[in-house]
Amino acid sequence: MQFKDYYQTLGVARDASADDIKHAYRRLARKYHPDLNKEPEAEARFKDVGEAYEVLKDPERRAAYDDVGKRWQPGAEQPPPGWDSGYEFRGGDADFGGFGGEHSDFFEALFGRARAQAQRRAPPRAQDHHAKVQVELVDAYRGAQRSIRLQVPMLDAQGRIGLSERTLDVAIPAGVREGQHLRLAGQGAPGFDGAPPGDLYLEIVFRPDPRFRVDRRDVYLDLPVAPWEAALGATVDAPLPDGSVQLTVPPGSAQGRKLRLKGKGIPGKTPGDLYVVLQIAMPPAPDEAQRKAWAELARLHAFHPRADMGGR
Amino acid sequence: MASQLSLLHCQVVDEDLHLSLSELCRACGAEHEVVVQLVEHGVLQPQGAMPAAWTFSGPSLARARVALRLLRDLDLNLPGAALAVELLDEIARLQRELQMLGGGARNG
Repeated sequence: MQFKDYYQTLGVARDASADDIKHAYRRLARKYHPDLNKEPEAEARFKDVGEAYEVLKDPERRAAYDDVGKRWQPGAEQPPPGWDSGYEFRGGDADFGGFGGEHSDFFEALFGRARAQAQRRAPPRAQDHHAKVQVELVDAYRGAQRSIRLQVPMLDAQGRIGLSERTLDVAIPAGVREGQHLRLAGQGAPGFDGAPPGDLYLEIVFRPDPRFRVDRRDVYLDLPVAPWEAALGATVDAPLPDGSVQLTVPPGSAQGRKLRLKGKGIPGKTPGDLYVVLQIAMPPAPDEAQRKAWAELARLHAFHPRADMGGR
Repeated sequence: MASQLSLLHCQVVDEDLHLSLSELCRACGAEHEVVVQLVEHGVLQPQGAMPAAWTFSGPSLARARVALRLLRDLDLNLPGAALAVELLDEIARLQRELQMLGGGARNG
């Protein structure tokens, strides 16, 4: 288990005031909030920042954490003896839910597992649950089947919260888009006193594919072509999310030219289009014969790419 | 191995799916008053004159959840969250425009 330096996470000194800690937290929470920051590591950073603040904003937790920090041996994988005893936090009121819901092993070892505080009582009506499901872009073309494991808070006979795991096999229909929700009727929280169960919503997240960019139903592909393919035209193979296609590059194509493959985007009532964006790639350093050929090309062209910049 | 489970089919929450105010509230775990305020601040634009008759298009759910997360996680007030959602729309529009302009001008 790694020691977590919560001060470093928030970028504050060990003797920072409560106000400094609050300001640092607010700034970093805005910076890394996953709805505002689409970088892949943003959500993890947001959780780290939230966990650090949860500890450092509370004077008692902060004191306990400082005490552990003083006794922790640099580089040690093991906590100091007795480090997690004596603090009255087990089963405490750590926040739960949303992006900030999960804690590191370090946090849980020190402060106990977070309890679903909002759900200590039986909710007045069955609740709808949410989960994310990651799919490949090709799944949006063909549809897919996913097994989804969910940890569901359950009330036992004494009214205490426990977590139970259940697995659902879900058919993901073709045509789904990033950020879209799917509704599974009756798969949310169980209803009490005869009330019908809630629904489960799955939010679609595409696993990033370095070859393709997706905008709603349209898909973009950067396709490298050789300078002579762009100049003379060519027939080339281009990958598609669900296969490949032979594509005619028209002669005289400029860098960035977009070729539209109508209806080859994400399927739907109005299917999206796939855009192939030509990227003219330079061959590696030329040998002597190739250098001569380039020089011959230069001689034959009266081409001044910077003519409208007033220079040469 | 877990026991064999039957394959569950789901409903896509898209423009064709309509949610009542109560359904939307339940789906995003929010109180009626908060969703009514989201409408008053223009974050959500339901069809229908009165709250009891409102219907929200499917994508309203994702939009409401973003606004609610911003409210909760960043301690914003409603006008602040509404402004943030509008700016996120604007960023998404600009990114689309950037994408239309060609592969070289790519973000991220």
